[in-house]
This record gives sequence, C-alpha cells and structure tokens, in this order.
Amino acid sequence: MLSCDIRVDFGDETLRPSFTTGLGITVLFGPSGAGKSVTLKALAGLIRPSSGRIEFDESIFYDSTASTWVPPGGRQVGYVPQSLGIFPNMTVRENIAFGATGGRQDRDERVRRLVGLMGLAGLETRKPPTLSGGQQQRVALARALARDARLLLLDEPFSALDEGLRQEMRHELLRLRDELSLTIVFVTHDLREAHLLADRMAVIDAGEIRQFDAREEVFRRPINRRVADLTGIANIFSGVVTAVREGEVDVRVDGIELRCGSCGGNSFSAGQAVDVAIRAERVNLRRRSPEELAGTNAFEATIVRELPYGSTHSLQFQPIAAGPSLHVELAARPYDVLDVAHRRRWTVELPIADLHVMERRTAQGD
Amino acid sequence: MNFSDIDPTAFRLSLQVATTATLLCLVVGLPVTWWIWRSRPAWSRILSTLVLLPLVLPPTSIGYYLLFALGRQSAVGRFLIDDLGIRVVFTWPGAAIAAAVVSLPLFVRTAQGGFEQVEPDIVDVARTLGRRPTVILARVVIPLAWPSLLAATLLSFARAFGEFGATVIVAGNIPGETQTVPVAIYDAVQAGNDELANAIAFITLIFGFVVLAVTAVVLQRVR
Repeated sequence: MLSCDIRVDFGDETLRPSFTTGLGITVLFGPSGAGKSVTLKALAGLIRPSSGRIEFDESIFYDSTASTWVPPGGRQVGYVPQSLGIFPNMTVRENIAFGATGGRQDRDERVRRLVGLMGLAGLETRKPPTLSGGQQQRVALARALARDARLLLLDEPFSALDEGLRQEMRHELLRLRDELSLTIVFVTHDLREAHLLADRMAVIDAGEIRQFDAREEVFRRPINRRVADLTGIANIFSGVVTAVREGEVDVRVDGIELRCGSCGGNSFSAGQAVDVAIRAERVNLRRRSPEELAGTNAFEATIVRELPYGSTHSLQFQPIAAGPSLHVELAARPYDVLDVAHRRRWTVELPIADLHVMERRTAQGD
Repeated sequence: MNFSDIDPTAFRLSLQVATTATLLCLVVGLPVTWWIWRSRPAWSRILSTLVLLPLVLPPTSIGYYLLFALGRQSAVGRFLIDDLGIRVVFTWPGAAIAAAVVSLPLFVRTAQGGFEQVEPDIVDVARTLGRRPTVILARVVIPLAWPSLLAATLLSFARAFGEFGATVIVAGNIPGETQTVPVAIYDAVQAGNDELANAIAFITLIFGFVVLAVTAVVLQRVR
C-alpha cells in the first residue's frame, strides 16, 4: 500500500498531491506542468516535501511531524525518469549491477535473471549508446528492478519512442505487472497510454489531485468539468436540472430536455446548475426521426465539419433546431456502412446511460 | 641567450610546488565542485562566491591573509607549529598552499562546467540506487565529466607553476629552498641580470606552449 499526502513548495508553486493506492499500475495523468513529475520525485526522495507523510507498506519514507526522512537510496524504489538516466560510460551489465546489493555471486545471479526477464541476453557487454531506444528502455527498467524494488516510479519513460516501440514497451510493462508483484506509479500526459495501462488513475491538475479512482470510473464518470475536459470528453454542456427520478436526472440543455442516467453517486435537485458530459465515441447516429425515438435524447443535426483520422472520423454536428453542438467520433467501418460521406443530416442520439451529470462548482473555475 | 647561469633548482621547486598545488586542487576542488553543483541555489551561490574570491583579489592580498593564517598570529598557525611541529611559512609547502588557493577558482570553474554537462536525471537515478555520493562521484560523474576535469587539472597546474604574488609573500625568496621560477625571474630583473631573466622567461614560454598544446590534443582526442 502506497500512501502519499504531502505539500511541496516548488519555486512559486505549491503542490498538494494526496492519494492512497496498492498493487498494480497507478497512472498520474495530467497536463504538462501539473506537478506529476514533482510528485514522483517526492515519492523517490529526490525532492523533499515541505510537510506531510509518505508511506509504503510498513516503511515510512517521510513524516514531517515525526521528522522522518528516508533518503532516496534507502527507499528501495525503482525510478525511471523521462530521459532514462542510463549511465553511458557503463556496459548493460554494469548499469544493471550498479544498484544490485549483496555479494558478487548474488549480484551476478540477479543481473543474469534481469537480463533474461527483460530480453537483453547477448547485449550485456554493449554500451548504451550502441543500443536501440527500446533496448535502452529495457536496461533502465532492469536497473530499476535490480534492488528488488517493490515500488516502481516511471516518469513518461516511453515518450521518446516511436509509436510501434512504445506499444511494445507498454505491453512489456503490463507483463511485468502481472509477473512480479509490483506497485507501479506511472506518469503520463498521453490519454491513450493512461487508458491502456491504468488500474487506477489520479488526474492531477495545478498541483492537486482532482480525481482518484479506478480507470473506468475516471473515464466514464469524471467528477467535474475540468476532469472531463482533461480526460478527453469532447462534449460538455452546461444545463439546469428540471426533474429528478430514481437514478436519473432530466437536464435542460440548449432548449431540449436530456435524460441523464449517470449521476456518479451525487444527488441533484431541481433548478440546480450542472454540467453534462458524453464522450464523442458514445454518441449514436440514427436514420429514424427523433419522433420515432421519443424518450431517448434524440434530435436532428447536420455535419458541419469532418476530420478523417484513418481508423476514425471526427464529426462536428450542429443542431437543426434545439439541442447542443456535438463532437462525434465514428470508427471507419460504421462510417462506411452508414454512408456518412453522402448523408449530412442525421438524428443524433445521446444514450441515457452515457450522459453523465456533474456538479458545477464555479468557485474552482471549473 | 645564455642558459648556463640558470639554477635548475628553481625549476625543480616550481614543478614540486605546482604538482602539490594541483593535487590539493583535486582533493579540495572535486568535493567543493560537487557541493556547489548539488546544493540548493542559495548555498551554491554563497560557496561559489567564496571559492571564486581569489580570482578577483590581488595575489599579494591572498598571500598576506595566508601569512597571517598559517603564522603564529592565528590559532591554526599556532596549532600547526606548536602542536604538530609543522612550519609552513617560508617553506615550499607554504608556496604550494598559496599556489593552490590561487588556482582553486580556475579548477572549480572548469570542473563545474563538466559537472553541469552530466544530465541531472543520471545522478538522480544513481541516488535512488542506494550508492554513496563518493561512489556516484567516482563511478558516474567523474567518468562522464573527465575531459573538463582534465582541462581543469592542467589549467590549475599551469596557474600554480606561474604563481608569484601569493607564494613570494608566504614562502619568501630563498634560493634553493623557496625560490620558484617566477621569483627567480623577478630576482634576476631586480639584480639587473637581463640575460638570465630572458633565458628563464624563454623556457617558461616554451613550457606554457607545451602545456596548452598537450591540453588541446588530449581534449580533441577525448571528444
């Protein structure tokens, strides 16, 4: 169990990351400058917080009230920064062995095991500058694991790789997670990477964790407009609650009533100002008229802009009469089957279960 | 030019003083450079200013303060002389200490340039791997910064070899004991022996040229 509740004064900024997590991959996700890397460095002991507490399993790494401070070398954590921090003057074997403890035989055995685990056999005597990007990543991961670290801190380690290699390394990391019993904190600002890797996800913005939850919860039920925005929800509307029923809320948005089936455990009241969100890939295109689909959040709209991304099409819809403007993401196959290229006017349907209602807190600027 | 009047002892002493001063620069300069590099900005600035001070002071001022610090007037001097039986003033080790103080800023500045080229992430990772700072310095930082450290060492050696103002005040001008090459030139000029001054100065010119050429060749090979 990793528990972090600290305050870090960093230059002019103050960060207050606070979360508790366990085995598996926890993704720290947020925009550049949000405080992800600083949080990771504080966990590694490379930055000393101003106050708070960091605890991993039975070890207290930092506790300001008890003046406890374990330096980075005493934490037995594996740390891989964005630039990997490979020692270019050492061979692959020396890089991995640098942090390994124990007698010579123990160290050699451990290095051999890690070389095998990370698929580096045959490269032991090579110097890092002669290795490919992917091989360097493996060396950095092997070195991070050489101290039998049970906590792995990874700061955008795959960002310098091309897409193919990045994909391969992500799968490699998932394999490591499953094979070794590790708590991994992974920093990224890449939404797809976050979605693929995260067991749990912390959305961090302006130095604070805005939402911490299981991945699907964060992606499907963001707690406010800012988190929805950061996690790539393209459709966020402002509205007012008109009716509240068991597990459902009606919200008036741009002149129409939307039945929203996702409330994130919140209770709302009539007249309350709220935000409503739906992911672009969750919107349906229907051939039938809105009247035929009564009670299903359907209205007529026309495509005003289209961006073909190859595997998907990004469509922007403008309502014919009442209703909000919409971004719709459509995979290439349904796009062709529906013949969207030749038909611009559609009935768009916002599935009730996918319409998520969030409290609006103007004080946070959300 | 007549080289036969030159006393080779001055050259031997100068090499002895410069070599000792360079070793002192390495022993003191490396940890100081590490400290400046790894400290918080405020500490780093204070330490950096202290180390650079000899660069802007007249060498005679440095000599004057050292004479005071190493002589009987100060507690350190009294401890050295009375308790340890070590007399530094008016000896060649005194000259070496003076030359080291004057050369230290050059060493630290040049070495710092080398340290700063080492990626901070590399040192951060090394710190998380549980090795002591001395091991990180010896196995990671020095091997990566060594071209600059070599340049720093050669520059310090050349500076110590040519040091006059501070050494003459701390060690005096005793032929065969503390008279280094620059002092010998000064002595010859004062005595009106232009031919001797000219001959010694010519040798220093050749020496300086060789040191710079060797530095350039070594650095080129390394890079």
